Amino acid sequence: MFRKKSLAEVINDLRSNENIVHWHEIEPQEARYAPIPESVDTRIKAALAKRGIEQLYSHQYSAYQAVAKGENIVAVTPTASGKTMCYNLPVLQAIAADDTSRALYLFPTKALSQDQKSELNEIIDEMGIDIKSFTYDGDTAPTIRQIVRKAGHIVITNPDMLHSGILPHHTKWVSLFENLKYIVIDELHTYRGVFGSHVANVLRRLKRICKFYGSNPTFICTSATIANPKELAEHLTGKPMRLIDDNGAPRGRKHFVFYNPPIVNKALNIRKSASVEVNHLATDFLKNKIQTIVFARSRVRVEIILSHLQELVKNQLGSKSIRGYRGGYLPNQRREIEKGLRAGEILGVVSTNALELGVDIGQLQVCVMTGYPGSVASTWQQAGRAGRRHGEALIVMVASSTPIDQYIVNNPDYFFDRNPESARINPENLIILVDHLRCAAYELPFKETEEFGTLDITDIMEYMVEERILHKNGDTFYWANQSFPANTISLRSASQENVVIVDQSNVANVKIIGEMDRFSAMTLLHDEAIYLHEGVQFQVEKLDWEHKKAYVREVDVEYYTDANLAVQLKVLEIDKTNARKKTALNYGDVTINAIPTIFKKIKLTTGENIGYGPINLPEEELHTSAAWVELREVDSDIGIKTLEQLLLGIANVLRHIVPVMVMCDRSDIHVVSQIKAAHTGHPTVFLYDHYPGGIGLAEDVYKRFDEIKEAAKNLIGKCLCEDGCPACIGTEIIGINGKRRSMRLLEQF
Amino acid sequence: MSGLRDKLLRLRSSQTAQEERQAGLVSQPEVEAVQAQKPLEEAVQAGPPAAPSESPEETLSPEWEEMGVRIVQSTEGAFLVRESRYPLMHRHGIHELTELAEVQHSLDSFRKPENADPGYANLLFLDLETTGLGVGAGNVPFMVGLAYAQDESFIVEQMLIRHPAEERAMIGYLSNLLPSFTHLVTYNGRTFDWPVLYNRFILHGFRTFQWEPIHIDLLHPSRSVWRNTLVSCKLSHVEEERLGITRKDDVPGSLAPAIYFQFLADGKAAPLLGVFEHNEIDMLSLAALAIRFGHLLGGNLGKGPVPMPQEVEELLRTGLWLEKMGKTELAEPLFAAVAEHPRPTRKCLCMLAERDKKCGNWQRAVILWQKAVEDAGSRAGRHDYEAHIELAMYYEHKTKQLDEALVLAEEAYEIAQRRLAGLRLQGKRRAELELLRKRIERLQKKLIKYSS
Repeated sequence: MFRKKSLAEVINDLRSNENIVHWHEIEPQEARYAPIPESVDTRIKAALAKRGIEQLYSHQYSAYQAVAKGENIVAVTPTASGKTMCYNLPVLQAIAADDTSRALYLFPTKALSQDQKSELNEIIDEMGIDIKSFTYDGDTAPTIRQIVRKAGHIVITNPDMLHSGILPHHTKWVSLFENLKYIVIDELHTYRGVFGSHVANVLRRLKRICKFYGSNPTFICTSATIANPKELAEHLTGKPMRLIDDNGAPRGRKHFVFYNPPIVNKALNIRKSASVEVNHLATDFLKNKIQTIVFARSRVRVEIILSHLQELVKNQLGSKSIRGYRGGYLPNQRREIEKGLRAGEILGVVSTNALELGVDIGQLQVCVMTGYPGSVASTWQQAGRAGRRHGEALIVMVASSTPIDQYIVNNPDYFFDRNPESARINPENLIILVDHLRCAAYELPFKETEEFGTLDITDIMEYMVEERILHKNGDTFYWANQSFPANTISLRSASQENVVIVDQSNVANVKIIGEMDRFSAMTLLHDEAIYLHEGVQFQVEKLDWEHKKAYVREVDVEYYTDANLAVQLKVLEIDKTNARKKTALNYGDVTINAIPTIFKKIKLTTGENIGYGPINLPEEELHTSAAWVELREVDSDIGIKTLEQLLLGIANVLRHIVPVMVMCDRSDIHVVSQIKAAHTGHPTVFLYDHYPGGIGLAEDVYKRFDEIKEAAKNLIGKCLCEDGCPACIGTEIIGINGKRRSMRLLEQF
Repeated sequence: MSGLRDKLLRLRSSQTAQEERQAGLVSQPEVEAVQAQKPLEEAVQAGPPAAPSESPEETLSPEWEEMGVRIVQSTEGAFLVRESRYPLMHRHGIHELTELAEVQHSLDSFRKPENADPGYANLLFLDLETTGLGVGAGNVPFMVGLAYAQDESFIVEQMLIRHPAEERAMIGYLSNLLPSFTHLVTYNGRTFDWPVLYNRFILHGFRTFQWEPIHIDLLHPSRSVWRNTLVSCKLSHVEEERLGITRKDDVPGSLAPAIYFQFLADGKAAPLLGVFEHNEIDMLSLAALAIRFGHLLGGNLGKGPVPMPQEVEELLRTGLWLEKMGKTELAEPLFAAVAEHPRPTRKCLCMLAERDKKCGNWQRAVILWQKAVEDAGSRAGRHDYEAHIELAMYYEHKTKQLDEALVLAEEAYEIAQRRLAGLRLQGKRRAELELLRKRIERLQKKLIKYSS
């Protein structure tokens, strides 16, 4: 007879599991309260009382008080600590006090906007005040758009819609912009990198329009835990910010454990699949009726784990009690799952990082991650899904065989002791800045003396006059072009001209499955390339370079392709140099010229080369910023051939470690090693931003190079392989004592 | 500060930049005198700075004068106006501008319930030439064409701004002029010309500007009447096909923005004449079209210059439109003509039958359906099918002629199968066919019941 174990028992059993490599406990915390301020409208107080809220958590109180004083704030709170109250309370109070007040809410996705609207409308109904809150996005019916524009007290939208649907049509939104008191930016931490740099410029445009209509709104931001919330918020909004981080929400004890699957192939250092281990662990929890969330990194992986779990527990539990959750599900379906989780009817959910964002699903008991989510901040957000206000919670991270995962589980201190990553943006990236200056000039004429960000833009404006985009008369620049600039500028894509990937497997249903920047497309989407999309293999039948389309068809083959890219790197300008004993670290502008040469077909199981073919594509040029380290003196005992191999190995390690350290995607930063750099003749390793003009990643590498160097050494040192594996310095340098010598070389960097 | 520009050029494309620099196309940026900073809103509302050449008695170059353009000065600045006066006897295509006075009261049918009755009609025709498409804040109407009748003349008044800074003066002028009119007549003005112009009032700070005329957008009736008879409902096509207007050496409206931008760049005024003339003819055609619809509403179809439509569909749609405008008494003879037409189309028969069914005229509806069902050959299409179904319903429920109904339903089923052969049956099609199958079954059961 199967006897159900309690969570405490399950945790206890787990303690003796030999695959657990680290066990971390987070102490519980009592709630800290403050009274609801006197100034809050009695109708709001009554509505809160109905929901059992008689007092505020300390951070909600501080947020309210700071906003009341007219300060811009950024509130940093963990998942499920009542952060929406930080902005809803001041906003509702402002509208209750003055019916003409308006607020604009920005959420990174449409789904979050919908959630927020329902939550907000519930409170508003209970307040008994006629406050109209609407979402305004691509799904808003044309018939109600006019009502939203004229009468919406709270307009809930996303940055993309603000950029192309609201700001260029600001004359239709007079009542909003004239009376705008608050701009709420939720999930602030998602605005980083290229997207964040775009959004910062969209906010500059928004502030410009507010000024035109005579309003000066206060910003209320909320963010998950990152290292630099205040800095990010100030950079994004261009306003001084007060940081609110005195979280007063209670929490129970949390156990955070790292699980490393056993090694199955010693020589190649290959471990048992993380998904298989996750299936076992999660089955155990679910059979004991412990509410569990499983995170996986791709949609396909979610579906695979989901079907396994449903199969494994089908006798004990109905299949409806375990559900999947990912982008691509219909909104109604998602609402139903969220509700089921809150009510406890759904016992398990398998999700992509879609559930990382602030969707309300209540608090679960166990969180299982299939692999390291990619950043410290993201990991903490997923972990936050487990943990009720009282009682214990368990978080299990199951490592995969990738270098980053192995590095994290073998260096638990790295993860637990360090602050989460900083989120960086570079709104002054020239390409992005110019795009938004065009939009801004379309919206309102520019005065010569007007500011837009920190750069002096006169020069850019004059350039656009020459290009006949603007017309200058007196001291004013006017838009003078037939186009509608916002339509051609996407906030989310990496570079302007992406290659669209067209799946023509089904002739009757040809569809676009994704896009890729031009530079990466050269090596990943050339003719005959095998392209992996959500775990499915596609072969590229034709890359139409002129029209930027790659036509692919689904295949099932035993190999992958690997293209050789001949890269030339020219240093244009050295901005900063840091000379060390035998090396020099530099930061500056570079030009990259790349031309793909050939591709190899490599057998999946054995890694052997089973064929090759040519790639015929024109050369691409990229101007960006880079950090590079040059070896001015090399130990005499290292031959040139060996040095070249060692540098390749180090580049491989940096490629793994840098995205973790600077919080970006693997494709955002590229690493290239050269035995003889063109400008000095020295052996050099370059790390460059893979976006025209750079987005600040290389600069961060420059600033934190020592930290990165240590992490790289650590990764090589702790790797269990004998002398190089794909998880560290690669497999091509066996037999020269590569690991030890790489570490010694890194020492001198 | 040439560093930024260089960097930008480098990022955009180093090659082109280099070529341009070598060709001397990119001049060195000039050092601009530092100017006192003014907040934006103040600056925008303060109007353009007076350029040295703009003294109060500024005279225009002969180039402009040849086009018949004069300068208008106000405290807010200057802009240009070109005025063309036509005697009311002027004939534009098949219509004469005097007819405008005759039809004016008929146009009152366009008044919506929410419009107050101004008691008199003072029509303003409006057509913009803009720098772009869409109704965003950056789309500037560089030319505003107005037309109205005054005393014994029809006046076309076209405003032009020589650069964007003159717009404020023009908008100020319009804010005084527009409210003296009771009706606004446009072509696609509801979604384009008016919203674009209204944006400009807001952008230039005329927040209190209020004008709520009776807006007659002639695109809507044009579509109602000519939707399938003309290949396009563009004004230039409608005027040619139905108003007897031919344009000579017309500069297409789509070229207007490019011509204006060229003028902004080189200051040569002459090419703008083509835009003025194009816009002027648009204004006259707008008046002619208003006359045409006025005649229709006034019961003058088939009289004077307005011929009876040749094609049965235009005849029918004219009737349907008149009925929608509250002129059922004018529509009835047209419907009768459709019903009696020697070469009707099944589609028109069905459309009219549908209308008759809605207002309870079953008698004619049945005759029309029967006509549509006759000679249902192999080319039977959608409307034939529709007529079968409608008749089957009528016989089953109204007259209880069950056997007739069954025959029609079965024929409908055959038509449907022929039409849908080879197509995937999904959604609506499947549901429709399923419904038909049920009807047949029901009719068969009823027949058995009644015969026993």
